[in-house]
Amino acid sequence: MGSRETNGRSRKRSRAYRPKPPGLRRGFLKHMPISEYIGTVARASTTSDVFNAIAETHRREVLDTLIAGEKAVGTIVNDLSLSQPQVSKHLRVLSEVGLVRCRAEGRRRLYRLEPARLRPLHDWLAKYEQAWNDRLDRMDDYLKELQQQGEPQ
Amino acid sequence: MTPTGHGSTVVELPNDRDVLITRQFEAPIALVFDVLTKPEHVSKWFAGPGEEMKECSIDLRVGGDYHFVFLTEDGIEMSFRGTYLEVEPPTRTVATWLFEGRPGGDAVESQDLHEAHGVTTLTVKLAFSDAAGRPTRFEGMQESFDRIDDVVRSLLDPKAAVSR
Repeated sequence: MGSRETNGRSRKRSRAYRPKPPGLRRGFLKHMPISEYIGTVARASTTSDVFNAIAETHRREVLDTLIAGEKAVGTIVNDLSLSQPQVSKHLRVLSEVGLVRCRAEGRRRLYRLEPARLRPLHDWLAKYEQAWNDRLDRMDDYLKELQQQGEPQ
Repeated sequence: MTPTGHGSTVVELPNDRDVLITRQFEAPIALVFDVLTKPEHVSKWFAGPGEEMKECSIDLRVGGDYHFVFLTEDGIEMSFRGTYLEVEPPTRTVATWLFEGRPGGDAVESQDLHEAHGVTTLTVKLAFSDAAGRPTRFEGMQESFDRIDDVVRSLLDPKAAVSR
């Protein structure tokens, strides 16, 4: 989807994924606790947010089971040991943020995953990972340097 | 198949409080431990390009403190400090971790090392704030973020998922 495909860890990550939370300064991301970051994002947005939608364990289970493909509500209920009303409630929240899509086939309602909507989380994770990766790359280089100098131990 | 080298760091979110970082190095465990825990080494790699290490002190014993300060490209001072809770060379350190100037940004950081076939695996676990005391509202959240990051990756980034 429009993004350049490199080896999956591109150096230049798209910046357009979401507005920066207020007060977020350059350099903070790599040191900011994830809970704090997600907290900031969640506070800055509404409940119709992907982060909030997946903050609930059962909703993640619903997403998990839909990875295998499109499923009817009944199948989801069987897959997870949840009641039909519970599953319906979670499916509604997931539909509202666009993480799942529903279509009718006869009398059945079939749900499928909309993976593209997970991109904000994916992008956030990619940035966080990049920051750690850069630091550990430097450590790796330094280790190699030391070893070339003759195994100081 | 050991994924080492540039770009091989893996970051996972096992739950909503912890971050797990895994990286492998083609180096003996004792050397990796030293590079992680001796100030003369840490000061060589901790800060990035354009950043300037201002302070790097490490008192590597239980109850001992460490303090890292560096200046970012924009001249902002970043200060981290903490106290060692466990020191077991060359396999493990546990220390408190505080990013000064950001209340709530405190964690317990565990660094575990394991060597096999000449490759040393570093696992860093950052357990943020409440995780240390595990407040009741997070009980039963063990499974929590479980596979969501895997899920996200495998759906959007098949190559990244394959390397895991």
